[in-house]
Amino acid sequence: MDFRLTEDQRNLRDVIRDYLDKEHGPEVLRRLDEGERRDPAIWAGLVEMGIAGLLVPENHGGLEMGLIEAVLVATELGRANVSESIADTALIAAPLLAGDRQEALAAGELRVALAHPINPWIADLANADMVLTGGKTIAAPEQCEALESVDPLRLLYTPMSADADDALLDRAALITAAQLLGAGERMLDLATEYAKMREQFGQPIGSFQAIKHHLASVAVKLEFARPLIWRAAYAAQHGHARAPIHISHAKVAATDAAVFAAETAIQVHGAMGYTYEVDLHFWMKRAWALAGAWGDRAFHRQRVDEAVLGGTLPITPDQTFASE
Amino acid sequence: MDLAFTPEQQEFRAEVRSWMEAHVPKAPLKTLEGREGFDEHVAWERELASGNWGMVTWPEAYGGRGLDLIRWLIFEEEYWRAGAPLRANQNGIFLLGPTIMEYGTDEQKAKFLTPMAKGELIWAQAWSEPNAGSDMAAIRSRAVRDGDDYVISGQKTWSSRAAFADWCFGLFRTDPDSKRHKGLSFILLPLDAPGVTIRPIRQLHGETGFAEIFFDEVRVPVANRIAGEGEGWSVAMATAGFERGLMLRSPARFQAVAQRLVALYRQHADTASPDTRAAVLQAWMDAEAYALNTYHVASQVIAGAHIGAEASLNKIFWSELDRSAHRAAMSLLGATAELRTLPGGKGGGEENAWLEGYIFSLSGPIYAGSNEIQRNIIAERLLGLPR
Repeated sequence: MDFRLTEDQRNLRDVIRDYLDKEHGPEVLRRLDEGERRDPAIWAGLVEMGIAGLLVPENHGGLEMGLIEAVLVATELGRANVSESIADTALIAAPLLAGDRQEALAAGELRVALAHPINPWIADLANADMVLTGGKTIAAPEQCEALESVDPLRLLYTPMSADADDALLDRAALITAAQLLGAGERMLDLATEYAKMREQFGQPIGSFQAIKHHLASVAVKLEFARPLIWRAAYAAQHGHARAPIHISHAKVAATDAAVFAAETAIQVHGAMGYTYEVDLHFWMKRAWALAGAWGDRAFHRQRVDEAVLGGTLPITPDQTFASE
Repeated sequence: MDLAFTPEQQEFRAEVRSWMEAHVPKAPLKTLEGREGFDEHVAWERELASGNWGMVTWPEAYGGRGLDLIRWLIFEEEYWRAGAPLRANQNGIFLLGPTIMEYGTDEQKAKFLTPMAKGELIWAQAWSEPNAGSDMAAIRSRAVRDGDDYVISGQKTWSSRAAFADWCFGLFRTDPDSKRHKGLSFILLPLDAPGVTIRPIRQLHGETGFAEIFFDEVRVPVANRIAGEGEGWSVAMATAGFERGLMLRSPARFQAVAQRLVALYRQHADTASPDTRAAVLQAWMDAEAYALNTYHVASQVIAGAHIGAEASLNKIFWSELDRSAHRAAMSLLGATAELRTLPGGKGGGEENAWLEGYIFSLSGPIYAGSNEIQRNIIAERLLGLPR
């Protein structure tokens, strides 16, 4: 029993974070928002960093890492508000594809869109090379209707017929939870920096307890969502029967933390937070979007509810890490 | 990351489980906050000590088993799983003990730790004063040096267990000209010393779990001071860290509450409203989250990390979780919730344990540093906001 990230895992997280801090700051989000919203150079950079092949076996040209690494990277993608379909392709779809496709995927030559009846849309369908649905891949349709999301960097399209696939749903919910955590962490950072800089009554507003207590409450929520995501990733990686319950639990906690971070951050920013000019809105809107994606709060609470209150799951204090 | 228990850890779990099954009292004890119940709880401490379970993480030389924090968490899981009583000894084993371990001299360790682990000396806390609550640096109780003694005068309040305990530990001003955090010393003294007067305070539930302590020129040997003269504040902050953080409120305690809450829900499922059902589920989810975070922190501590202001995150989380869980139980009980005695005399101490637990849970966000103070600490020390 050792509930710590390994040194390699911490290094991976730090390397990705440093890269995205340098290459994918708020100015990039503004440029994308004013232009094409997707940029092959950003995709190429992410592939260069090894993210495309993160979960692909080494003999197919990947790094052969696992779900712990995947959620760490997904958290960083959420923190940087990366909008390319790298999470869908590399962190969700990759292990569910055949070997030759994994090879192309690891090389950055394949983008996969994900179709599942739980979502009334498909993200990044127009630029996808194929669609994963119901456990198999199909060709992306020639034509699709674009929908507009509140999130300016999100590209959504009307669904084609999609088949259910629990493995896809669970993986996607887990990766989405990790992205929500990252978005929440970033919003706490943004609000904290603003509170240090903005002065009223002759002092930084961050010196007032009203502001401190708001932000401290966000820190608590994020802190206690994080290990839920790690446990879910570990349980899924090791094929524990409880993994779907842990994933749902993690998705609910990450959603609650991110939405709370968003609402608190806009409050701390005051009227500035209500403008398009302040960076906060990119993460806030992403949090709203991901909160509903891959099963909303009600869906995932229901899964946990059925297991816990429905009475099938042993819940004595010794069962926290149980595999069966 | 390895979230599986080793075979040795599993063996240890089995050992704790079988001992608890054989020894945990079948009927609940009377409340720890009253005289009779307190004595029952002290008897239980001695029973625990007879099995060498007083404090498993302490060195064997001081009555412990020299085990690491993961084994402590396993011990706690089995302790609460078995429905074992609250720890009368908690001020000693969870707060003062670790403090002495870190700051005490060898003589102090030898004198105080073993009786503590054996439940022979029960400790009270003596921090707050009438004008020093959240603002603890405003302490005025004095310890004036006189040869090899201090002469202590002043008043402490909200002293948990002081009505029944043997000794107390707390902060006293040893430099009369000092202000605020400076000039304070951490001193231990027996509550039966001449000049000590205890005035029990009746708490919300009617019992006298805490008390005022008056000191009228009480003589205490200088040898009873932990760490240097004037270093009391930093010692007290370390103790407070133990209180807020890892040791005092182990996750299993809340997981056991959540488990009982789920069982209570099932009894009342027909009449429970959807929002109460949601509150029950949230309590279980939060207890799990608290357990995971504790394993994460414990793993870091084992690897040599020092936990500072992070303890404030924990304190807020467990205290608010405990209150929410008990509030959900009160909702489930509906019109029965207010009853202190249940129809037909279900017997055994606090009959309506949920009511007693709810009342106690209201103190959680206040003691060990109010949650407002914890939020200040998080904002200033973890987020870096200006003081």
